[in-house]
Amino acid sequence: MTAVIEARNLSRWYGNVLGISDLNLEINQGITALLGPNGAGKSTFMKIITGQLKTNIGEARIFGEKVWNNRHIFRRLGFCPEDDAFYEELSGFEFLAGLLSLYGFSSAEGEQRARQALELVELTDVADRKVRSYSRGMRQRIKIAQAIAHDPEVLILDEPLNGLDPLSKRRIIKLIKEFKNSGKTIVVSSHILPEVEALTSEIILIHQGKIIARGDIYFIRDLIDTHPHMIRVKSPQFRQLAQTLAAEDYVLKMAFEPLEQAVVFETHDRDRFFNRLNEMVLTLPVIIDEITSPDDNLQAVFDYLVGK
Amino acid sequence: MSSIREKGYHHWDGQFLDRPRAFWPITRTGIKLAFGRKHFKLGYTFSFLPAMIYAAIIYISERLEDFKFIAQGGDKLLQVNPNFFKSYLTLDLLYFAILILMSMGGAGLLADDFRHKAVQLYFARPLTKADYLLGKAGVVIFFVGTLTLVPAVLLYILKLLFAGSFAFFLEYPWLILSILAFSLFMILFFTAFILLASSLSNNRNYVISIIFGFYFFSEILRGIFSVIFRSPFSALFSMAANLKQVAAGFFLVKPPYDYPWYLSFLLISVFCFLSYLVVKHKVRGVEVIK
Amino acid sequence: MFFLLGSASILLALIIRFYRLAGQWTESGQIIFQNILMVFFLQFLIVILALFYGTSIVSEEVEGKTLPYLSSRPLSRASIIIGKYLSSLAVTSIMLVSTLLISYFILNLDRDFQLQDIWTIVRYALVLLLGLAAYLSFFTFLSTWLARPILLGLAFGFGWENIIQYFPGTTQKLSIVHYLKSLLPQYSSASGRLSFLFIRLEPTADWLAVLILVLITAVFLALAALLFTFKEYLIQD
Repeated sequence: MTAVIEARNLSRWYGNVLGISDLNLEINQGITALLGPNGAGKSTFMKIITGQLKTNIGEARIFGEKVWNNRHIFRRLGFCPEDDAFYEELSGFEFLAGLLSLYGFSSAEGEQRARQALELVELTDVADRKVRSYSRGMRQRIKIAQAIAHDPEVLILDEPLNGLDPLSKRRIIKLIKEFKNSGKTIVVSSHILPEVEALTSEIILIHQGKIIARGDIYFIRDLIDTHPHMIRVKSPQFRQLAQTLAAEDYVLKMAFEPLEQAVVFETHDRDRFFNRLNEMVLTLPVIIDEITSPDDNLQAVFDYLVGK
Repeated sequence: MSSIREKGYHHWDGQFLDRPRAFWPITRTGIKLAFGRKHFKLGYTFSFLPAMIYAAIIYISERLEDFKFIAQGGDKLLQVNPNFFKSYLTLDLLYFAILILMSMGGAGLLADDFRHKAVQLYFARPLTKADYLLGKAGVVIFFVGTLTLVPAVLLYILKLLFAGSFAFFLEYPWLILSILAFSLFMILFFTAFILLASSLSNNRNYVISIIFGFYFFSEILRGIFSVIFRSPFSALFSMAANLKQVAAGFFLVKPPYDYPWYLSFLLISVFCFLSYLVVKHKVRGVEVIK
Repeated sequence: MFFLLGSASILLALIIRFYRLAGQWTESGQIIFQNILMVFFLQFLIVILALFYGTSIVSEEVEGKTLPYLSSRPLSRASIIIGKYLSSLAVTSIMLVSTLLISYFILNLDRDFQLQDIWTIVRYALVLLLGLAAYLSFFTFLSTWLARPILLGLAFGFGWENIIQYFPGTTQKLSIVHYLKSLLPQYSSASGRLSFLFIRLEPTADWLAVLILVLITAVFLALAALLFTFKEYLIQD
């Protein structure tokens, strides 16, 4: 079986700036998340596979058909762009019905589909209000509604959870999972790991225009765990802590911050490190003010994976 | 669960420090952004062309003997007097250049802030509305000033230098005041006009259409009314004609249209005042969603 | 604002009408309309309407970042441009024709309308619509080509078009307004007080002027559609 979305040697640059470089990818049914820091090339990839951008080298195909300048593909494809941009003076209903009219639906069918989509994203009660008066969460949902209103088989959602409050995020995650359950192919981009974990286990890590890892979330976590972690412990007894933990073989490095009364440990086994730290807190007279992971963010994960 | 340590809303009861130049960063940024626009520098440089031609005329007028072959029969054109300075400051080409430059660098002064909802960001700083407006006005003042006031004063100084005497100064002792006063009046008018246009929309293209639409529309109205009514008062409908009429008053020369120059002066002053009221009303720190 | 600008012609017609009623003006409404209001429509209103709507066709979508909503639909990219062009033409035509008709009738209220008069106003309306279509097509092309087309559009609409028409010989044929004026009788046979408006017009034959205006419209629209089909538009953050 051929993949739903195929990218072959995709490269795209903007003047001297590299967007994506020699990207090869196959995406199948279900939810696939593109994970990467800002500027990694996620949006460029999404714009290419939705026909918004040309490639400099390579080709993108959906259902075996090329995407650039192929209008027929858009009957089977829904795209939710990243930008918070709308025809602000239209109501939510007019916005959807207007875009649906471009598919050649009769006005009655277009209106019916618009209402269905509004219902799906729970915006029926504000359907007649102008988009400019919508909250951030509503705007994000109406943007998703325009991508699903024509019932496409493939959905490309560029940062759909960006800037949303937890409640709105939950709503959208639920919605995306419902599409998946109805057999669709969904590609979602994000730069926040926990968001992606809540959506899918199939992840593509993208960094500086290249795919640096692909697999399910557990595989990626394993990959990350083979690299050392930094843990900063702030305590009045930081020297005593350091002395005790220095004997452990999983502690690789230590650095003192005497002014801050803190010590930074580097370990390749977080679980054992934290177990030992817990024991010490219970058995020794030490007080711990704060535990932080200076590198517990996506950028650090990428730095590890690309060997920085 | 820990208790709430503080509750209630606290008004800041401090005082604004007196910062007389709070507007300056806004002006500086506006000027920088204008110069950063494509083709702006080129347009700005070309706008000094009339000033250079006028400077050449001053030079030639002082050495008429040497330039007889050019000046044949054109002595009148080469006379440097109050009319000469008035004609520089009322050149249609100069107005057009100002409007083009201000379309590039001034149309978005307020419109872009409205579009990107940036006004509230300004007012989240220790800035008053007056600082904000002055900052934006400063951009127009800078560009219009460097195209009107500065070259006109330089031309005057050049005339004195080339003449090598104070005869010209003694002949028209009030002229420098006329140059200063009319240039400032023009700066005031263009500042009010550009800021008014920029405040009427959050779409830069629309603002540019308003700027030029107003300019050409006022000219066409003057043309049509002068044909219908055959009256010099038709000039009151034209932006350029009004400025020319006021200039005649300031430079003590015969007005181009047969009516008192102070009518045009009054009209433009009222326009500036009304523009100020509109702009002040339009600039709000809180976005009102209708 | 453009409706307001269009209504200015109605206001002008009313002023002239009252002036005539006061006995200050003796020329017929028809003559006043042809020689005065047409200047406003021909050299100002259609240009500014086409300029604003035409140059906004692509740049508005790109600057507003709404282009992906249109370009991710099952429409050819050319049909997006043609659709937007036609909708702009429809809106501006309604503005133009309604104000044209109202101002014409205000000026000619006292007239016994003959078939000839109807033909005159239809002819004026058609000429203006042809002009609007041609200008709009040209500015649409500029919009697909340039990121900020309005200044070049202004230079063309109010600079080039105004200057070149006063040049003799073939030069004046390099403007759209030349062909529009060629189709209006008062420009080819002007005399008297208003003749300064029409100097040096060396008219093109009616059929040829119409053909050229249609060609200008078609060519620039086709170029715009072609450019939009193959050009990509980067949405800037």
